[in-house]
Amino acid sequence: MDVVDATAEGELPWGNSRPRAGRKAPALVLAWSLDEPERIGEVLPIARVTSIGRGAALDDDPAPRTMLHRLRPGRALACPPIANARMSRLQLVVEPLGEDRIRLRSVGRAIVRVAGKQVTECVARAGEIVEVHNAAVFLVTSRHVELPAMNVPDDFAFGAPDPFGIVGESEVAWRLREALAFAASTDKHVLISGESGVGKELAARAIHGLSSRRDRTFVARNAATMPESLIDAELFGNVKNYPNPGMPERSGLIGEAHASTLFLDEIGDLPESSQVHLLRVLDQDGEYQRLGDARMQRSAFRLVAATNRPLDTLKHDFLARFTHRIALPGLPDRRDDIPLVLGTILRRTAHTNPAIAQRFFERRDGRIAEPRLAPDLVVRLLRHPFTHHVRELERIVWLALGTADGDYVGVTGAVEAELRESAESAVASVEIDRDTVARALEENGRSVTRTAKALGLKNRFVLIRLLKKYALSAATGSEDA
Amino acid sequence: MNAKLLRDTLELTLAADDTFPQRFYNHLFEAHPQLRDMFTRNSRGAQNKMFAQKIAAIVDHVDDPSWLDRELRGLATSHAGYGVTAEMYPWVGDALIATVREACGDEWSAEAEHAWTEAYGVIAKAILAATP
Repeated sequence: MDVVDATAEGELPWGNSRPRAGRKAPALVLAWSLDEPERIGEVLPIARVTSIGRGAALDDDPAPRTMLHRLRPGRALACPPIANARMSRLQLVVEPLGEDRIRLRSVGRAIVRVAGKQVTECVARAGEIVEVHNAAVFLVTSRHVELPAMNVPDDFAFGAPDPFGIVGESEVAWRLREALAFAASTDKHVLISGESGVGKELAARAIHGLSSRRDRTFVARNAATMPESLIDAELFGNVKNYPNPGMPERSGLIGEAHASTLFLDEIGDLPESSQVHLLRVLDQDGEYQRLGDARMQRSAFRLVAATNRPLDTLKHDFLARFTHRIALPGLPDRRDDIPLVLGTILRRTAHTNPAIAQRFFERRDGRIAEPRLAPDLVVRLLRHPFTHHVRELERIVWLALGTADGDYVGVTGAVEAELRESAESAVASVEIDRDTVARALEENGRSVTRTAKALGLKNRFVLIRLLKKYALSAATGSEDA
Repeated sequence: MNAKLLRDTLELTLAADDTFPQRFYNHLFEAHPQLRDMFTRNSRGAQNKMFAQKIAAIVDHVDDPSWLDRELRGLATSHAGYGVTAEMYPWVGDALIATVREACGDEWSAEAEHAWTEAYGVIAKAILAATP
């Protein structure tokens, strides 16, 4: 009879906080490929010394080959060998050094650059970029090769937007989908936080689309656009001729969202008094009164709120009503997804603009195929310290399209200037110490906007990152923090 | 067929010359401008990538008869569908060898010329034999 030592590490079910996903290993993620753009996002795990090159294994390979994989929760699909003509049959020999570094030897004919420098042998860390000249660009990452099975929809094409428009095959993207699906499966209120441009409304729509409320209309409103004097009327509605004669009867956002989802973006912009009114509705199980109406109404709405401000700027008891809090990752948190998001933006642009499709996209069998994308743009974007995330990426794409000289999307002078300006601001912020930030915050009445300006930062989101980094509390009671 | 020499010279060509496929088509169209009209289904960039990938795959498998047989039968059918005729195969061979020769520069040899001429002859003959 086998004797199981139940006290051995990992045997107790609560010994691991999550189902085991194996240990992290360095990996190369395909970020650009001249001949095989449809393979972007595939992952080459470096769990042992590995030979990389075009085609199947060779008799004289110095180490076994590892296939590129399409990694999804609960499965890792090995893909065909690299068929990129410009990659040598034996191009690289890569060895893992711990969880997040690799030693790389270039043994093929194509020139290899790491961090922009031509190399024959070097150590590369997670976050660095390996370029095989005019053939492929890889991002060095550190990730789990196996993701645990998740109860999320995964029947969409690899690298394509999911049914809710979320793009990404990184571990972070799948963890996010899992968190959204879990929140959707309950009926609790959700608070989504994340910097401007990370896709908060997309996440809210995903929660609605995955919930049992999906057949009802999703009601969305930006709290920052509601005139302060009309916020209560917007939220709760009013009876006819109230408060002014001629006012039509309105059911209000809460009434409209009955049995559905109410998404309130920029909830941090709601004045405290409105937060208190909304809090009362949440406490009373959806019971509320329209303005001018003595009767009580009930709305079985689920609130999904979003904010790009630090959570401590919300009223404490209001914040406590959100059972689920989901922090959306920014593009720097999931760099391996940047090429896929870039491709999605470009394809979407081409589908709505035939002139762009004609000029910047290849055509195969008469149909629009992949964009003509310069590898240097992908490399620059992989390194870029995004502060406005997908929105910023979209702006850079339009800038690249609008200022292109030729028939490809690359780094133009205008793109270069834009990338440099944002990067300088982000780099400058890294050099500001905790005391300086704390002092500037005090001197500027704890206003995030004014403090960011005083510190010479590009925008308040750069300061919000610094506050997070130094565990400083943002303004309390300030009008814009 | 001298597989090693074919592979070495192709690797050299692909590494040394980013415009290899485009120069191949330039050679081909310069000598036979009437062929231009046969290449309108794909954009120039897509055609270049497909050409480079196909040549690399064939040279990689030049000593794998079953792969070659399967691949060349497929090419025979698709080429026939595009209107490629027997007289065009030598034109393509001349353009291909001229392009590789140029890219290899001083490393090109009579032996390499023989290896490419022989290999192309065998492959073209196999495609023609499989043409429906």
